[in-house]
Amino acid sequence: MVTRAEYAARHFGPGSADAGSPVVLTWREQWLVVRRGEDVIHTLRAVEVEPAAKGFNNAQLALEWFADEVRHMLILDGPVALAFRQACPPALQHRLQPVAAAQQSTERRFRWGIVVLAFLALLPLAALGLAIAFADPLAAWAVDRIPPGVEAKIGESVLAQTQAESKLITEGPAYEAVQAIGRRLAGGEENLRFFVADRPEVNAFAAPGGVVVIQAGLLRRADSPEEVAGVLAHEIAHVELRHGLRQMVKAAGVRMLFALVLGDYGQMAGWGAQLTELKFSRDAEREADARGLARLARAEIDPAGLGRFFAKLEATPSAGAALPAVLSTHPATAERMAALEAALAQMPPATIQPLAIDWAAVRAALGEPQT
Amino acid sequence: MAMDVVDYEVFGNEMQYVEVELDPGEAAVGEAGAMMYMQDGIEMDTVFGDGSAQQGGFFGKLMGAGKRLITGESLFTTVFHNEGNGKRRVAFAAPYPGKIVPLDLGDLGGTLICQKDAFLCAAKGVSLGIAFQKKIGVGLFGGEGFIMQKLDGDGLAFIHAGGTLKELALAPGQTLRVDTGCVVAFQPSVDFDIQFAGKIKTALFGGEGLFFAVLRGPGKVWLQSLPLSRMADRIVRASPAAGGRSREEGSMLGGLALGGLLGGGSDE
Ligand SMILES: [Zn+2]
Repeated sequence: MVTRAEYAARHFGPGSADAGSPVVLTWREQWLVVRRGEDVIHTLRAVEVEPAAKGFNNAQLALEWFADEVRHMLILDGPVALAFRQACPPALQHRLQPVAAAQQSTERRFRWGIVVLAFLALLPLAALGLAIAFADPLAAWAVDRIPPGVEAKIGESVLAQTQAESKLITEGPAYEAVQAIGRRLAGGEENLRFFVADRPEVNAFAAPGGVVVIQAGLLRRADSPEEVAGVLAHEIAHVELRHGLRQMVKAAGVRMLFALVLGDYGQMAGWGAQLTELKFSRDAEREADARGLARLARAEIDPAGLGRFFAKLEATPSAGAALPAVLSTHPATAERMAALEAALAQMPPATIQPLAIDWAAVRAALGEPQT
Repeated sequence: MAMDVVDYEVFGNEMQYVEVELDPGEAAVGEAGAMMYMQDGIEMDTVFGDGSAQQGGFFGKLMGAGKRLITGESLFTTVFHNEGNGKRRVAFAAPYPGKIVPLDLGDLGGTLICQKDAFLCAAKGVSLGIAFQKKIGVGLFGGEGFIMQKLDGDGLAFIHAGGTLKELALAPGQTLRVDTGCVVAFQPSVDFDIQFAGKIKTALFGGEGLFFAVLRGPGKVWLQSLPLSRMADRIVRASPAAGGRSREEGSMLGGLALGGLLGGGSDE
């Protein structure tokens, strides 16, 4: 007697339980014998049954056939199905190949899907890392794409904010003096506009779009119009070099990039309000100093005023007062002062036309700060 | 594998618990948090892994533990065994309103695939595994995620799900479209797929998902009428504390009562 290999399966269809009934399969030549317990319930030819990948994850093998137009199905679990396949007659075997292919493709797609999903999950992280790593170049890239019109808008918003926070001095010796210095510094550049804010702090700043604001406190501390001109030349240089914009873009980061892409410049003008509190890098200060000196030379203003003013602030802090604002945002480090001295020494001798301003009158007109 | 045959009784209507009777020496496994009460003589043992004992040494245990971490289950299973002389009882309670269904894994061919938090307790010898949903689309949109639970063995297991549990038998080739999230368990012979709901308008404005879960027989399936996530969603939407509106119970007292109820129930 020949012992035949037996394969456990579940039969679904007439005569079986809803959850399927356990059956045992054996091959007898071309015939598939299905037994439930001791009873042979079906005998099928190999060509009669239709194989398919089935069930959860396509992991099961289904053998389907119709008897009296009613569907029957045998379900074989993964490992059993493998052994069954190897033993089955050629008539069925070649039709089992697509089943194996379908099962493998489910596995393959799953693996690729996991890779893709993992990639998608990591994508925001990677983007963030890149953004951090390339913050400076990105900011520079974005800044280069800010159109001049936006600069003007930012300038207007800064001016509006200044007007809201403090009274502008629009006449008198101080106003006249600043306009005179400004005319010399501008040298015909029409977009530069100079304003005097009636505030006690020693500060001055320039906004994109050519808005230059000088606070009365700084005029009081200055001993000559050349010192004021030096500070203004430095501030204008920051704007020309777009230092402030670059800082803003870096601080606002991704939001700023989006605003640029979407053309939402109104929001950028809002950010411009932070300009007065920006600190720049030492490199930026050195650049602004050099460019400021060049402007002073072009305007035929004594360039020594710039260094002198900052050195004076550093050396004699106003009694009891906090650090002058202009100093805290543009610190007069020894390194910076030395660089300024060196730059001054290297400058070719230029003609100097003193600023014909009655500085004593200016200071008298400003009086002492009201506290 | 030697399974323990247990007698049981399910109590309650909408908030059920199951009381399992253990003969001397018999044991049951359950999630530690699900135990409600146990009689004298029942000893509780927390074991590493799923409590099905023989798990192929240290490495096998480690694998089992890793899988349990992935499914979000606790690393340890609690085994409750009867060390007394007579029959003793231990009860396991469902964590939210719904039904408890006893399933004889032996009748089902030894394996059941279920939603990952459906398991409540089982006779010792039933092993708890995970089954990855390997059809990417089904994992993403089928409502059950990529990780499902697999119960293996031939003993009794109790599963629990939200609302009312419906048991259905699908004939070979018979299909059933189910709202995503409502599939609780099915035999491994059942195909679990998704089908596009067909109309974008229905998907967007009908308040339902873009896809149906499609179950194709043969085999048994269990569906729940109220997935926990849906109930939680409704509660949050109705809770003023979570920014929801409470039009009907606008009074201070109503708000407080609801807040207290939620506070008391959110201790897990
Ligand atoms: Zn500066």
